[in-house]
Amino acid sequence: MSQENATIRKQAAETEPAAAAEAKPNLEDPKVVLSLLEADQVVAAKTHTRFGRRKISAGARLLLWGLRVYVLVMLVIVLISVIRALHGGQ
Amino acid sequence: MSRPKDNRPTSAYQPAQPTTEPAVASSIARELVGQLTHEDRDRARDRWRVARARWKRRGWKSFGGLRLLWLLVGPGVLVFLGENDAPSMLSYSADGARYGVGFFIPFVVLTFAMGFIVQEMTVRLGAVTHRGHAELIFDRFGKFWGFFSMADLVLGNFLTLVAEFIGVRAGLSFFGVRPGIAVGGALLLVLAVITTGRYWTWERITMGLAIFNGLFIPAALLAHPDWPAVGHALLTWTPLPGGNRSEIVLLILSTIGATVTPWMLFFQQSAVVDKGMQPRDIKAGRVDTLLGTVLATTFAIAAILATVPLFHHGINASDFAYAQFAQALVPWLGHVGAALFALGMFEAGIVAAIAISTSSAYAFGEVFGTAHSLNRPFREAWPFYLILLGSACAAAALVLIPHAPLEFIVLIVNVIAVLAMPPALVFLLMLVNDRDLMGEHCNDFWMNLAGVTVTVLLVCAGLGFAVATVFPRLLGG
Repeated sequence: MSQENATIRKQAAETEPAAAAEAKPNLEDPKVVLSLLEADQVVAAKTHTRFGRRKISAGARLLLWGLRVYVLVMLVIVLISVIRALHGGQ
Repeated sequence: MSRPKDNRPTSAYQPAQPTTEPAVASSIARELVGQLTHEDRDRARDRWRVARARWKRRGWKSFGGLRLLWLLVGPGVLVFLGENDAPSMLSYSADGARYGVGFFIPFVVLTFAMGFIVQEMTVRLGAVTHRGHAELIFDRFGKFWGFFSMADLVLGNFLTLVAEFIGVRAGLSFFGVRPGIAVGGALLLVLAVITTGRYWTWERITMGLAIFNGLFIPAALLAHPDWPAVGHALLTWTPLPGGNRSEIVLLILSTIGATVTPWMLFFQQSAVVDKGMQPRDIKAGRVDTLLGTVLATTFAIAAILATVPLFHHGINASDFAYAQFAQALVPWLGHVGAALFALGMFEAGIVAAIAISTSSAYAFGEVFGTAHSLNRPFREAWPFYLILLGSACAAAALVLIPHAPLEFIVLIVNVIAVLAMPPALVFLLMLVNDRDLMGEHCNDFWMNLAGVTVTVLLVCAGLGFAVATVFPRLLGG
């Protein structure tokens, strides 16, 4: 059943909107605009919806913290490197 | 001037669900009818052009295919030609001038391949979720990690923007243009491009400017490259650079930073969303990204080849800034070749200034929930345009301050980009593997392997730089 739904969805996605056949579509008509955009592509639809937080596993959290520390330590090293370079210390 | 409506609900909101269903067939279609914006209409116009090209393609396959490609290219070409910016071209020039034809030519190809791998993921994320990178990080990981990520982006973007205006100033100084006029003119150009109020027009004008990155090709040809040596270097990665190893590590890091940086992730995803790309456009998005990669790689190699005569004639280029390269090249490329090189530096600075300031403005709008589209007129999205222009003006002003530490900024800008990249890549990989967001467009095993390899390589490059800095004698530098 779910495979059948997926096929139907795929076929729908591959069908061009009716406006594609028109040489000059009337974009003042909201229905034409909505036929050309996906449901979650309209600004108003996006403003009322959010994906929400995902769970971050302990391993992922550790990785993110590790990389944060890495960036901070590296920034200090960049500073040392630049001070040396500017004073011709290399 | 009224404050644009805050688009981001603070408490109650519906869970978002990526869908390919046309809005007209959705359950909320009736509510949406009365809430359409200028942005929606402009985006619908762009989508109609794409739908029309696909519809016509049935009868005129090859022509329709080219038309479709023309409509869908943009973000990928812009992000890569934008990243061939002033500090990047300076870095490539330093590679050629210090080490000639050898290791750095295939190395540049490798770094651009890494760039393609990560940028392709942003195309999928943008086309499937219709949300920018900053917005997704805030939504999925929360404010704490979101602000960390933004701090990296803001710092990197501002320093890079300053370096772009230094490039603009230096490039035009070759022609005797005064710094104030060069920088002021560049700012006017940034302003002119955004006043169109249309993403499509902005994209085409910026692409038109970006193609002048190709000026490095005639400059390279005037240097009469040794093509068999170029072929040999590409195949064997030799000769390897010799001499001060700490300096080599710094140049390697700087060359990587010339190709993969956090602003590129944020920019391309936001541009894909603003362009209105949909999941069915992902293939075209890949072609666009590949086209950008190939063009940028070619122009980067041209910059290396253009400065190789300095290596052969033993000119010490270790302290060269932008314009000094062009001046030093006059005896070997002639005045025309050197002028092309200087113009290329100017172009590299101006296109990147446009792209990076836009990337900052997109991220600001996504995080604070204000309108963030080049399809919006100024009155509807003035914070977006003010951030865009404000960041460009602040960077330009800094370049004109006497005794400002410009040399310091040029030295660190690419290095900081590489160091800030691994956390950005981890967020990218987590988002692109998020099945709730991406569905069937999630990364497969090989994409993850490539992404993780790039991340590990960048961390190793950073650690190599740290060792070379803290223990210079360990590397024999």
